[in-house]
Amino acid sequence: MDLSDSVLDHLRSVAALPDFTETRYEIESEIGRGGLGVVYAARDRELHRRVALKVLESALAGEAKLIAGLEHPAIVPIYDAGSLPDGRAFYAMKLVTGARLDHYLAKAPSLAERLRILRRVGEALGFAHSRGVIHRDLKPQNIMVGEFGEVYLMDWGVEAVRGTPAFRAPEPNMDQRSDIYSLGALLEFLLPASAAPALRAIAEKAQSAEPHLRYPDVPALLADLDRFQTGLAVEAWQEPLAYRLRRFGSRNAVLLWLLAAYAGIKFLLFFLRNV
Amino acid sequence: MDPDTQIGGPHGHFPSTQLSLLEAATDGLSSEALERVMALYWKPVYRFIRLKFRKNNEDAKDLTQGFFATALERDFFSRFDPAKASFRTYLRMAVERFAANQHAASNRQKRGGDIQFEPVEDQAIPTESPEQIFEREWQRQLFALALDDLRAHCDASGKQIQFRIFEAYDLASDEAERPSYAGLAVRHNIPETAVTNHLAWARRTLRGLVTERLRGVTSGDAELRREMSRLWI
Repeated sequence: MDLSDSVLDHLRSVAALPDFTETRYEIESEIGRGGLGVVYAARDRELHRRVALKVLESALAGEAKLIAGLEHPAIVPIYDAGSLPDGRAFYAMKLVTGARLDHYLAKAPSLAERLRILRRVGEALGFAHSRGVIHRDLKPQNIMVGEFGEVYLMDWGVEAVRGTPAFRAPEPNMDQRSDIYSLGALLEFLLPASAAPALRAIAEKAQSAEPHLRYPDVPALLADLDRFQTGLAVEAWQEPLAYRLRRFGSRNAVLLWLLAAYAGIKFLLFFLRNV
Repeated sequence: MDPDTQIGGPHGHFPSTQLSLLEAATDGLSSEALERVMALYWKPVYRFIRLKFRKNNEDAKDLTQGFFATALERDFFSRFDPAKASFRTYLRMAVERFAANQHAASNRQKRGGDIQFEPVEDQAIPTESPEQIFEREWQRQLFALALDDLRAHCDASGKQIQFRIFEAYDLASDEAERPSYAGLAVRHNIPETAVTNHLAWARRTLRGLVTERLRGVTSGDAELRREMSRLWI
């Protein structure tokens, strides 16, 4: 049988379409695809709501079980999982409406907002690590910011995932420290050009080539971020004296003003007494 | 093998009948494996040689035949290392080396005389590279073989109507030729829902058959997954 290019392309397309005719779902449109599967927006005919359906090869079906075990406000909840007649696996999850993080940044959010997003992602990641799960492919394209400001970390990895080059740790065997590297790369990605050196130092420490030089866990990185946001010195940076004084000044501005006022009054009284 | 880790899975309609290349090599079935490889790769190799080395029809056929004969003689499969490349890439590179050597030898014989490039007669100038055309022909042949399998499967299991509906709809030469579901329902005197069900069945069966064909020419599940991801649009 000799197939023309147009027939071949049509067959490649229709043979790839998942067959949901015997399920409760009706596909509406494709909303994304990656190396491991395709995500569709779909309608749940029984519950009359829209869901996201991810279809992936059966060998990767463990991904659904992996995520279903992670109940966290920043991890998309799984509603259902199953297999298609052709053997492919699928799972249904909440359809998140909002913007992908890389698109969200086009709105030029404030530094505080950027750090809030990083914190939410870090909290989800830390929670997963405490359950023995690593993400493996942390990057802006896998983070959604919902219309109410909620943050979701998506596309939890399986063994087959090797990460995306710009955000991937250099070591061949991935573990929790590899995710910390990616979290550091994400922080760097989020920082505006004017960001403080202390913040850049946190991102750099997290991205150390040697895993043992990175933060030991996600809470340690978030704690350093806390220190920055409350005006304390961060662990990641040996700050020069000028920075230390400036930070001390801005953190203790009220006290310094009171001291200055007290000194001024004392000086004035001393001056008046000697007139 | 754990059925949960097999592509096709425990609910797949097609038991895995084709051994992967590596399984075939260890079981001493290399000639059968070579048959599978030739069925799929003969045309892509032929087209690749014609375009890459600007050979005429007969020379390209001879070189293609020569390549597969040499592959058989020199225990081609045993040197395939799936860690380095897919079998498709490995084979294309082997063809390239083989044809380049033959091309150079043929030019040496002609040295001193008039060396003439063979015209690629009657062919439109391709817009894709020979490598892209090789992959395209590989896809075309894979689907062509799977369609033969689908037709045979339908004939053997009394599902001729499913095949006729699929053939009319999905093998139509262009959109203008494609009949409507309602038209097919009238033509075959069945409800429109039956038309969509038959189409869905034929498509997933075709997908299973393509997967099985592919399994027979890849080294295992990891390579099979990678190749499948290049196949589906």
